[in-house]
Amino acid sequence: MLSEKKAKRVAPIAATVVGIVLICLLWVLVSAKPNPSDNADSPLLGQPAPAVVTTTLEDKPFDLSRRKGSWVVFNFFNSTCVPCRAEHPQLLTFAQNQLSTENPAEMYTVINDDDDSAVLAFFAENQGDWQKIRDNDGSIAVAFGVAKVPETWIIDPNGYVRLRIAGQLSEGLLDEQMSLLKVQFGS
Amino acid sequence: MAAIASALLIFGGLRESGPRSQQDRIDAITLRLACPTCQGESVYVSRASAAEAIRAEVARQVGSGLRTDDETIAYIEQRFGSEVLLLPRSSGIDSLVWALPIAALICGVAALGVMFRKWRTADDGAASAEDEALVDAAMSSIKAMDAKA
Repeated sequence: MLSEKKAKRVAPIAATVVGIVLICLLWVLVSAKPNPSDNADSPLLGQPAPAVVTTTLEDKPFDLSRRKGSWVVFNFFNSTCVPCRAEHPQLLTFAQNQLSTENPAEMYTVINDDDDSAVLAFFAENQGDWQKIRDNDGSIAVAFGVAKVPETWIIDPNGYVRLRIAGQLSEGLLDEQMSLLKVQFGS
Repeated sequence: MAAIASALLIFGGLRESGPRSQQDRIDAITLRLACPTCQGESVYVSRASAAEAIRAEVARQVGSGLRTDDETIAYIEQRFGSEVLLLPRSSGIDSLVWALPIAALICGVAALGVMFRKWRTADDGAASAEDEALVDAAMSSIKAMDAKA
């Protein structure tokens, strides 16, 4: 064991080191910035959107790269997902509001792990006349890093991902965010 | 003997076991990826839809032959975040996960070595100079007291 003299020398040093480590940990906790908004982080933000080539429920081809020039909204959806169903009125309102804007955004529902008939039945009952696109093998969800639905993504007219909202949309959020993005990146 | 056994074990562990099938590669990759919606389950084991989608993507990439295993894992990590890695990376801040336990083990063994050496060369009970001076002073005062008496 350490002699008394050595222990007296070592103790203050050890206490100082422990104190510094604790202060550093506290500083890391205090300085961590919470996300103040509903927007979720993603390494895709500011990057070109992943390539999406698929078909719509009307069996028409869909290629995201051909949608350049328009703002594109992808809403990842499953007809059995409770928050997906709950946020649907927000999407209807958003789609309606977009009609009166300059360069209205194009809405697309990306079907996530669901069958066509269930999705068609949902939209027949709840309205929403925008295109629904298939993601039968989950490759679109993986390309965007979508693990759970609902998620809403906004892609600008140049094909860059600008926004990701994970979870149910709150009232007016999508309209507000789209307006901000149009101001920031041009209509 | 221990050194030879260790060397053989290391050699055996690192040795290439021959060409792997695509399914072997898919299994190896999915064993290293965590299901993003499950607690602690690998993509290999999980039946969640997100895990199945990732498994399908891994199968596509392995089948296309365009990416190595590490590149495929990096692709998934880039989309879902580093939480999807079941094995932390050995670079950047993640490398602390590997380095700290090894450093702690080395420090612990070194500390034990120092302690053992100290115990072995510990004081055999011989009196120090201070002790002897103390005894001399006490003896002197006893003798002085006896002389007075």
